[in-house]
Amino acid sequence: MTLVHLSRRDWLKLSAAGVSAVSLSGWLKVLASRTAETPAKHKSCILLWMDGGPSHKDTFDLKPGTKDGGEFKPISTVVPGIQISEHFPKFAQVMNHAAILRGMSTSEGAHPRAKYYLHTGYKEGQGGLNYPSLGSLVSAEIGKPDGPMPNYVSIGARSYGAGFLGAYHAPLIVTDPARGVENLKPMVNGSHFNDRLGLLQEMESAFYREYKAEASADHRTTYQRAVTLMQSKEARAFDLSLEPASSRQAYGSSRFGEGCLLARRLVEAGVSFVEVTLGGWDTHQNNFERVKQLSQQCDPAMAALVNDLKQRGLLDSTLIVWMGEFGRTPRLNQRGAKPGRDHYPRAWSSILIGGGIKGGQVIGKTDKEGATVIERPISALDFLATVCELLGINWKKQNNTPIGRPIRIVDKGATPIKELLS
Amino acid sequence: MIRRTILALPLAWLILGNATPVIGTPLDAPPLARHIDEALDTCLRAEKVTPSPRCDDAEFVRRVYLDITGHIPSAEKAAAFIDDRTPNKRAKLIDELLASREYGKHQADIWQSLLLQRTSDNRFISFDRMTEWLEKGFNANKPWDQMVRDILTAEGDLEKNGAVTYFLANLTPDKLTDNATRVFLGVQLQCAQCHNHPFTKWKQDEYWGMAAFFTKVRLNGNPRQAAREGGTLSISENGRGRPIRLPVSAKRVPPKFLQGEQPKLTSSDAYRPVLARWMTSPQNPYFSRAMVNRLWAQFFGRGLVNPIDDMHEGNPPSHPQLLAELSAQFAASGFDIKQLIRALCNSDAYQRTSKPSAGNPDAAPELFSRMAIKVLTPEQLYDSLVQVLGVPNPENFRRRPGVAAAARFRNLTPRMLFVAFFKGEENAEPTEYQAGIPQVLRLMNSPQLNNTAMLVPLLKSGKTPEQIVEHLYLATLSRRPTDQELQRTLALVRKQANEPRQAYGDILWVLLNSSEFTLNH
Repeated sequence: MTLVHLSRRDWLKLSAAGVSAVSLSGWLKVLASRTAETPAKHKSCILLWMDGGPSHKDTFDLKPGTKDGGEFKPISTVVPGIQISEHFPKFAQVMNHAAILRGMSTSEGAHPRAKYYLHTGYKEGQGGLNYPSLGSLVSAEIGKPDGPMPNYVSIGARSYGAGFLGAYHAPLIVTDPARGVENLKPMVNGSHFNDRLGLLQEMESAFYREYKAEASADHRTTYQRAVTLMQSKEARAFDLSLEPASSRQAYGSSRFGEGCLLARRLVEAGVSFVEVTLGGWDTHQNNFERVKQLSQQCDPAMAALVNDLKQRGLLDSTLIVWMGEFGRTPRLNQRGAKPGRDHYPRAWSSILIGGGIKGGQVIGKTDKEGATVIERPISALDFLATVCELLGINWKKQNNTPIGRPIRIVDKGATPIKELLS
Repeated sequence: MIRRTILALPLAWLILGNATPVIGTPLDAPPLARHIDEALDTCLRAEKVTPSPRCDDAEFVRRVYLDITGHIPSAEKAAAFIDDRTPNKRAKLIDELLASREYGKHQADIWQSLLLQRTSDNRFISFDRMTEWLEKGFNANKPWDQMVRDILTAEGDLEKNGAVTYFLANLTPDKLTDNATRVFLGVQLQCAQCHNHPFTKWKQDEYWGMAAFFTKVRLNGNPRQAAREGGTLSISENGRGRPIRLPVSAKRVPPKFLQGEQPKLTSSDAYRPVLARWMTSPQNPYFSRAMVNRLWAQFFGRGLVNPIDDMHEGNPPSHPQLLAELSAQFAASGFDIKQLIRALCNSDAYQRTSKPSAGNPDAAPELFSRMAIKVLTPEQLYDSLVQVLGVPNPENFRRRPGVAAAARFRNLTPRMLFVAFFKGEENAEPTEYQAGIPQVLRLMNSPQLNNTAMLVPLLKSGKTPEQIVEHLYLATLSRRPTDQELQRTLALVRKQANEPRQAYGDILWVLLNSSEFTLNH
């Protein structure tokens, strides 16, 4: 009998079978040794979320020499024929692992609604439901149900939650990568904390013996998961100070760079989905200076992430997604002192890297001003179905809401991008 | 053949089991409570299940405080109640709590989250006015039909009428239809927005027939501007105005009551008052039952129809006759909410222990043979923690990263942030434990939850160690420790004799992190 894929209800039976009689710390050791036996074969995903909507024309779909083409020059990458912005020189060196999707075309042009849509694949408020985000879906589909680590970690922002899938698949939020998980350390020293846990365990057992409450069993499971995380060696993945200075340097000194480094450490430790947010792409004003500065934060971090994963043999099993909620207008606005670009969902770019895709390609094409997709348009549903397929998730599967409404992981009408599959 | 006959009957009959409510003279709370017990006992006998015995006073005082006021009692109140020798002290406490201000506050918490869901579309709208409005209404025991009519027809300035928040927060006809039918009528119509409902008779036309009643509502003012620079927001329904544009997928049909007639309306009529009158009529087969079922679930942990707001022919009530009678009684009492709660809380069924006994170890929960064990809602948990630890220092709270800016924006309080952090899945059963690792880490390891300032006066009070431990148990679990617990905790105190604050801090930590604290048993 394997103890790894236990549901919460199974834990209840287990507790009833007498496992609860073992002291908390002893019990935890049982859990830890059993979970260690399972090989981690599933894929992972790192979502680099470019909050605010990056200007496609100033990053990965340059239109030099056209009207409002912008200030940046294209540079060549290691893949002949593919050019990107001059402010991504390091990423240009790993382009052979990446596919740029230049035909993104979606329908939501306001930040919150567009973010919701691209995270969940459903329009906010549609059918009166609260939909799970990609991270929660990945957690539910391919996450380890009872490992010490959470399956969905969001770094730098709260992101979107588990919706009707429930709190079990909600993200663990790391506000500042340098500080790690909030409240991960006890307020008293280790042995003192164990004394507290021992007394708590006695109380829990006594209460459960009398009341036989499922909620009490679930409460204990969650506490055990949290304590396992606190005491696990995997939780050291959250501690960036353990990383040698040389490898930290490659990611750049930005908070986003630290976030990407943390993402790598978490994937190594078995976390299924990590989202790292880089905000500030809402460049209505002073577009070029700001996009340049953001690109310079993004470039070393992305390249180092790809290189590190490759070096560790994890790039094929880790899909990196770079995207925001939309692109920006092909035309420059002159409202402010320095030109800016406004929201533009009709045509934009995203990037997929690693995860077993066929790299070194560009899929889709916009017209000469970057205003309309003229080749291989990709909808939000196509995109999410592609990500799921690459992660080995059956995106046509239906999840049931608590009242039994069947909701597909990705709604009808999606066609995955076949060109990516190698 | 039989099947066909059933399908030909009115839908209301199918859902509700029996006839439409008969309005008679309403019963007082005590006979109504007896009525509840007779109905439940009949089923228990038929199923050969012996219910659990009456709960002890400690279990009762904690339960009834949480259910009516939304927080646990103080150590002093719990002890006073347990030691009180008055024979009808439970009935007296129920009355006392229903008359307290916190009753309305707790109901307002429940209804605010049912009526207003935070989405990006309403992120500039403060919900505070609605909470105040609800609290006032519940505390005044405004009849439920009147309260719902006031919500559905709310007009005017937000600052003068908190109920207009309902429209500010649900500004499109489809959102209003989803919410009003689910919350006030207990039916899930939203599937029929896009297609005919798969397992009920609700057709897409019926959805949009209901939605049509909300097509003349207008927002006056700009929420974003009002939030940043001040300014008024108001709601109006202009009878003469052209109906607003519906989503592309909408069916264009005239206003029509759910499973009912198409009222005669002229283009200059206001639509909402017509809908509100139909919805809240004592003859409406859904209205009274939806509220009875919701209140039942609030106190018993599951509805007579469960899930509570999904009443359709495929989801019949566990006790059809009882639901029909309670609904008729509720309507006959003039939709008197406190009266119904008084009856529920005075029933034997409500006062059973939640412990299983020899006669019902595996009894189905819908038999109500023992009290369901409910998980404290985030609001109940916060208010109970405050009850024990005192109000958190706002300075600590403001220093947390990312909080200050957000807090300024919508005037967020520590309570709102705590609730948002602990909020589980929207439709979860009240008996389901929802917290995940981040929530538990905060409970175990945050400075706020490890704050032992409440121990300082206790340690100076001259109380013996036994009395201090007893106080901690009463303050958190509303009961005295068992002998075994007392011996165990006193040993811990002796072990750290030089550090009494630390020792009692350990005990407090364990009590606050126990499932007994986080459950309403």
